[in-house]
Formats: sequence, C-alpha cells, structure tokens
Amino acid sequence: MLLEVKGLNAGYGFLQVLWDVSLYVAQGEFVALVGPNGAGKTTTLRTIAGLIPPRQGEIFFKGELISKLAAHKISQMGISFVSESLNLFTAMSVHENLLLGAYVVRDRQKQLETLDFVYHLFPRLKERRNQLAGTLSGGERKMLAIGRGMMSNPDLLLVDEPSLGLAPNLTLDVFNALETLRQQGVTILLVEQNVNTTLHITDRAYVLEQGRIALEGKSKELLENKHVKEAFLGM
Amino acid sequence: MARSSVQSTIVFEVLRRLTTAAGITIILSVVAVIVSAVVAGPFTLVNAIVTGGMWALLAVGLSLVFGVMNIPNFAHGEFFMVGTLVSYLVFTPLHKYLRQNPSSVLSTVAPFAGIFAALLVGALLGVVVEKLIFFQLRRRSREQWVMNSFLLTVGLSVVMINGHQLLWGTNFKGIPRYWDVKPIDLFGVNISMDRAVALGLAVVTIAIFWFFLMRTRTGRAIRAVAQDETGAQMVGIDLNRIQVLTMALSSALAAMAGASLLFMFPSYPTVGLKPLYVAWYVVILVGLGNVAGATIGGFLVALLQTLTSYFIGVGWEDVVPTALIILILLFKPSGLFGSEVKGVWEQ
Repeated sequence: MLLEVKGLNAGYGFLQVLWDVSLYVAQGEFVALVGPNGAGKTTTLRTIAGLIPPRQGEIFFKGELISKLAAHKISQMGISFVSESLNLFTAMSVHENLLLGAYVVRDRQKQLETLDFVYHLFPRLKERRNQLAGTLSGGERKMLAIGRGMMSNPDLLLVDEPSLGLAPNLTLDVFNALETLRQQGVTILLVEQNVNTTLHITDRAYVLEQGRIALEGKSKELLENKHVKEAFLGM
Repeated sequence: MARSSVQSTIVFEVLRRLTTAAGITIILSVVAVIVSAVVAGPFTLVNAIVTGGMWALLAVGLSLVFGVMNIPNFAHGEFFMVGTLVSYLVFTPLHKYLRQNPSSVLSTVAPFAGIFAALLVGALLGVVVEKLIFFQLRRRSREQWVMNSFLLTVGLSVVMINGHQLLWGTNFKGIPRYWDVKPIDLFGVNISMDRAVALGLAVVTIAIFWFFLMRTRTGRAIRAVAQDETGAQMVGIDLNRIQVLTMALSSALAAMAGASLLFMFPSYPTVGLKPLYVAWYVVILVGLGNVAGATIGGFLVALLQTLTSYFIGVGWEDVVPTALIILILLFKPSGLFGSEVKGVWEQ
C-alpha cells in the first residue's frame, strides 16, 4: 500500500474537522475524495501533507509512519501537494517556480528531464517561462501548481480542487493533464467538488460527509449509488 | 510598423515608470547628486557613497529578516555594535604586536582579520538568537507574532547594550585608522584607505549576496520562504534551516558593517542605535521586505544625510530623514518601491 490513513482525527484550534477517517491509496491508483463544502476534504489532504498535525490516528507512506513528520520531510519522501490556494511564489518567474518544485532533486540531469516533461505537458507554461507567476491567468496558475508538484518526481500527488474557479474548457484541460500523469504511472489522490467528472475519470472514490467517510468504492459503482445520485449528481 | 510600435510602448513604459514615486525619487536623487557635486564639491558624493554602502549592508539584512521571518528587528543595531567590539578586540592586540615587529604584509592583512572575526561572531550570534529566542517563540505561539517578536528584539537590544557595558564598560574603544597608508586621490578628493576598503567591501558583499539570493538553490529557497511559507514547505524546504540561515546572514552583514566602520564608530554600548535608526529609515523608505530596494535606499539615505549636513547643518542630519519618513508613511505607506506589504503569515 502506498498511502494508508488509519483513524485520523484532525482540526483547527477548538474545531475538530475530521472524525476517524481511514482510507488507502495503492500504487498507480487514481483515487478521488469527494463531498460537499466543509466536509473536511481539504483538511484531509493538508493533514497528509503534514501542514496540520493530526490529533489522533496514523498515516503511513510506503510503510513508514509519516504523521509525526514535518511538512518538508513528507515532501522529501515523495508526496507532492497541490493546494487549493496553489501557494505559488508569485514574485518569481514560472521557470523559477518549477525549479523550486525540484528543490529536493539534487540530480541536475533529472531536473532538466522533468522540466522538459512538464513543459511538454503544459506548453503554455513554456511560452510564459520568464513571466512572473503572479501575472498568470487562473488556468495557467493551476497548470503551474500541478507542474511544480510534478517537478519532484513524486510517488503520490495530492491535488486539491483543481477545477475551482476555472472556466469549463480550462477545467477539461486540467483533468486531461491529470489523466496523462496517471497514464505515466503517477499515483493521484484528487479532491473535487465536481463529482460527476471526477467519478468518470477515477478508479476508486471516498465520499466524505461532515468529517466522516460516508461511502467508499469503485468510482463506476458510486456513480450508480442512490445516495450519490441524489446528493451530488442531482438525479 | 511593428518595430515603431514596440519602440513607442517602450518609451511609454519608461515614462510611466519615471512618473511613479520610485521614478521621481531617482530623478530627484540624480539631480541632487549633480547639484551637490557642482556646488559643494565632489567630496560630498564620496562621503555619501562610502556610508551609503554600509547603510545598504545594514538595511539588506533588516529587510531580509522581516521578509523571511516577519521579525521587525530592533536589535539589528546591536549586531553592528558587536561587530565594532569584536574587530576592536581582535585588531588592537594585533596592531600592538605589529608595532613591535613591523611587517608590511601583516599590517595589510590584520584589519581583515578583525573584520572577518566580526563577521563570524555576528553569524554565530545570529544562530544563537534564532535558536534560543525566535525558534522558542515560534514553537509556543504564532499569535500576534509581529508584535511579540518586536518586543523580544527590543528586550534583546537592552540585554546586549547592558551586557557590553557590564563586561567592557562605557569607554570608547576605537582606532584612528586600520591602514597607516597615504590616502587615495580621487577627483581631487583624498579618500583614506579605510573608507575605500569599507566601500569596496560593501560593494563586493552586496554583489555576492545578490548573486547568492538570485541564482543559487539556497538563495532561491530563502526567497521562496519570504513569498509563501506554506508553498516553501510543500516543495520540501526546511523552514528552520532557512530561518537560522537568514538570521545568521543578516547579523553577519550588520557585524561586518560595524567592523569595517570601526574608524568612524568607536565601540561603546549604544553605538548601534544610530545605524539601527538609519537602517529603519532605509527600509521604510523603500518598503518592508524589499531587499533590492534596500540597496538603492542605503545610498539614497546616505546622500540625503550628507546633503543635509552640508547645506543645513550637521545637527539636522537625523531630522530631515525622519521628517521624510513621516511624509512617506502618510502618503505612501508601503514605501517608495513597495507594492502591498504582505506578511508571511497573513496571506
């Protein structure tokens, strides 16, 4: 198992958001975490990425306990987090943002190969490589954030709401990029509100409601599930 | 057609930049430079440039610490004081020894030993301060961080000033000059070797520092932490390491400035206060956290001080910059070269 989360409780200050969340992601899988606003999807990803310390429960990555590690250590172990707010370095060029994505990669040759791959995946980024990240459009920023996440050659990519605030055709671009990555063998844990599209492209999915895992299963089967249809697909 | 339109956009862009606050300031400074060189003689410029280099060193460190760690460091001047003290303690015995055993090579090198020792002690002290004070505060609470860290630096400043007084007393511990050689003649102005070296050191240090920040992996990581702390952690940057390094670099630069100006500022407990205020003038002038602007600002403030003391009187040297700071805070609170000031933790 690549990632295993067991009985996770987490939150902010007095507010507990996650209650006994357990999930796993196997090598090569494309797994979705869906659910309504405020269900705790982002909190789950932030906790896995080490940005929030868990209150209880354990997180294993490649068989090692990571729930007590600092965020940069978790990143160095091979988990890349593409956050909802993107956390780009806005006063740096696109190129520098990508180079920083490869901060943990010491091998220069490897860095350049991945850079080529990212520029191939998002030709727009190559066109704008010398532009400051803060001057990019919303869609380009998402691409840059995903590209930066890829630069460390992660074993697991955590992606938070890539479709948020994007026009439908740009959303499609982003989803296509995730599909390509997945075909390259990258394991992805995707958080999305766009339940319909997400369940069509992923292998498995968890439905998070009020901080608890309400449903889990194959994405195809969840699409047929009565509760999912009523709550998320409007059918 | 296309070419002329490109040219006209460039002209337009240049005009637009020249009419911003930064552009106007630079134009005014250039005018001031020319006028003062003609009216008062070139020595005002030489003075302005030598002290400007040192103010720039101080302001760059102050600005960096604010940008990366969100600490308004009011103990920055005390690192300058430590620099003067260390260099005095290292250089004076060497100097005594050299008077008994003259050696031209050693006499040339000895001052550098003092300055280098100050640099090392400054860096080390920066590490200690970060580990013992700011790291501890960060671990306990990040609420009201700017205010709490500000108060801590003020306290630290008091402790360092009184520590100096307790251990070394309040006497002036100074030297007339580092190098006993003939002054250099430049445009009819005699520049002492000490001043020339101080300027050279400042320019070389700032250039190296600039290269380090812009082009190296670690320098890029420092800028990344300043721009987005969470983003920096997400790409695998160890915040603690960067914070220790930033504090060490900033203190080392301040101590080096103190050491190389020992001939102007003899070491005594409160010698750091004036450099501290000047560094803050510079940082407020150009905008908090703006490292590039701090370099230019150092020279601008030095020019302003030199011109004030020549045309209005030495007593006004601090009054005019302070009045200017009040005006800037009233009309352009984010600084002349600043955009919005964004704290690391308030994004």
